[in-house]
Amino acid sequence: MIHLAFVMAFLPYNTLVVASGVAAVGCAAGVIGTFGVLRKRALVGDAAAHATLVGVALALLVTGQRNLAVLLVGGLVSAMVAIVLLVLIRKFTRTRDDAATAIVLSVSFGLGITLISGMVSRGIPGSGGLERFLLGHTASLTANDALLLGTVSVVGVLCIVVGLKEATMVAFDPDFAAASGWPAATLDLVLIALIAVMVVVGLPAAGAVLVTALVVIPPAVARQWTERLIPMLVIAGLVGFLSALSGVVISSLAVQVPTGPVVVLVATAFLVLSIFGAPCRGILWRTRAVSSLSSEFLTKTEVGVATPTGTERRP
Amino acid sequence: MSWLDSIGPLHGWAIATAVVVSACCAIVGTPLVVRRMSLLGDAISHAVLPGLVVAVLLGAQPGGIGVLVGATAAAMVTVWFTRFLYRQAGLWEDASVGVSFTTLFAAGVLLVTISGSRVDLDPGCVLYGILELVPFDTVDLYGWDIPRAFLSASFVLLLVSCGMWCTWRWQLFTAFDCDAAKAAGVPTVAVTVGLLVGVSLATVAGFVAVGAILVVAMLVVPAAAAERLVHRLHHAVWLAVMIAVVGAIGGYLLAWRFGTSAAGMMAVVLGVEYVIAILVAPDDGVVARLVSKLVYLWRVQCEDRLASFWRAEESGYARHESTVGGLVDRWLRVNGQVQKQENALVLTPQGRVNAEVIVRSHRLWETWLGRHVDLPVDHLHPPAEWIEHHLGEQVRKRIENELGNEDVDPHGSVIPREKR
Repeated sequence: MIHLAFVMAFLPYNTLVVASGVAAVGCAAGVIGTFGVLRKRALVGDAAAHATLVGVALALLVTGQRNLAVLLVGGLVSAMVAIVLLVLIRKFTRTRDDAATAIVLSVSFGLGITLISGMVSRGIPGSGGLERFLLGHTASLTANDALLLGTVSVVGVLCIVVGLKEATMVAFDPDFAAASGWPAATLDLVLIALIAVMVVVGLPAAGAVLVTALVVIPPAVARQWTERLIPMLVIAGLVGFLSALSGVVISSLAVQVPTGPVVVLVATAFLVLSIFGAPCRGILWRTRAVSSLSSEFLTKTEVGVATPTGTERRP
Repeated sequence: MSWLDSIGPLHGWAIATAVVVSACCAIVGTPLVVRRMSLLGDAISHAVLPGLVVAVLLGAQPGGIGVLVGATAAAMVTVWFTRFLYRQAGLWEDASVGVSFTTLFAAGVLLVTISGSRVDLDPGCVLYGILELVPFDTVDLYGWDIPRAFLSASFVLLLVSCGMWCTWRWQLFTAFDCDAAKAAGVPTVAVTVGLLVGVSLATVAGFVAVGAILVVAMLVVPAAAAERLVHRLHHAVWLAVMIAVVGAIGGYLLAWRFGTSAAGMMAVVLGVEYVIAILVAPDDGVVARLVSKLVYLWRVQCEDRLASFWRAEESGYARHESTVGGLVDRWLRVNGQVQKQENALVLTPQGRVNAEVIVRSHRLWETWLGRHVDLPVDHLHPPAEWIEHHLGEQVRKRIENELGNEDVDPHGSVIPREKR
């Protein structure tokens, strides 16, 4: 981390602002993504992310200006449309849930690609840069763009802080929430909308294809370290923050490297370290616990090995 | 269609490649969708990228066997990684898919950008393919210039269809009941691994043509559409192949017409085909539901009309065609339930029998309700009016037995006897 701070001290002002904005996005995505993952909505976010391309392209086509805010609003609209379509397919057809996700994801991505490549071949001004939304490219962001992303992220986190109790209820037991008189369906919708917002503001950083990692991997890391919600939110936010920050810094040092892949790989590195090293749940920890347990109690018997977590593991 | 005339042999090769690729994907995609493994297909299609790049960096020929092996290995790594995250790290199932495919895809993209010119791939082509350029990369085969991508896709098609053909019974058994198949001695793990190897081969074949994400469309969308239309798995495979081929040809031609990405347009056409499939699906499609509702409403109309003829006869006057007239009467006449007599409509013997059944159901139900449910007499009619269309002979007989020899309903009307 000291190295990171050292490197950042020598970055130009614009990169610094962009890095902080994107890091805020990473933090907010981690916090909000925690609820998405707990609610088992990880891949709904993925479908929404792939659908954002359609809205981004249409926003450019309709308004004719390449303002990041306008493009992102377009992306948000099409992400919400994709989520509604997904719900409709699940409700009114017998197509399985996983197939429905894959269908919405791939067809909307195809539509987005068709629109963008049609616009490029017709020479519509500004359409050439849209491909940056595929894999993320923070080098092209201005300080104002970064300010916008950062503000939206802060507002997103504030929403969660204000509605922490409601969000927790809906994430853990929507049926109980509904039975206790909460407007569970509306809250669920708000939660999905927040995930869509995070996916959309994550676009410039990670791109449509990889942005889902921002809302999935930090909660997965946090899950390795704790069993409680509040610490999980804090750890997820921190991991998201650090991955996004180091992604931007690394890709600003090597110009041709897109940001998205770097952010994702840093986050995955956190995950792998946690899976092995985290206390209690980590594999190293469990192996040690098992070996000490078996040397104490089970050396003379040939019954088998029980793990403290009860996970099925064949010796 | 003048724009079609100028389509040349180069486009022909591109279309042929797309057709072969989508047939491969549809064949392996159908069992994948039926087994609820669509998202694993999604993950594999993203994850073959690093395998592909590493194979090329190690000196494999693009479109050759080495690339197929490398990509299949990467796909197996993805499946293993997903299972590892799910089993060992205790992650949720969808989250572990999300983690594993984004990680492998990110690694692939990074490898592509870092290795630069040494790998003949650019990130854009990774995402949506270069079908338009397929005809220019040819191999000389007995004096014919055949595109490399077409050759490797045909090889994969042969491999995949032979594999499916040979293991079909096992695939079928495992797809519908994995546990029973295991108990019956089917090597289910081998069957699943075989299917996943097939998926990764089809993905690699499709990769060059349509890119990573649109391969998902080819794997899942035709299968999901076919599965809504037919019930037998082998019919679904054939139908999925047909849907995929239509999508490939239609998508390519439309893309060429409108000057846009062929791969993207193919996914869009497949999406349209899926929407059509869920609309016209025979058991739960929108059209089927609408038709069955209309058929039901029509039957109720006809039966009500028939019963009203019978009641009119009972009270002693004949109905005139001009009173309600219209389609219902015409339909009853065509069916031989009513006939014209001296400018009036009367029941035929057949029609009388049918009408008596309906009126009998109605009055039996009113009597039964009157006896068992504490309802005022004027509340007995509406439920009977509804249920008269649904009572079968068995139920009528049971009610009759229970009522004993009651032959007058609570309103004082005679319950007609049934002619058996």
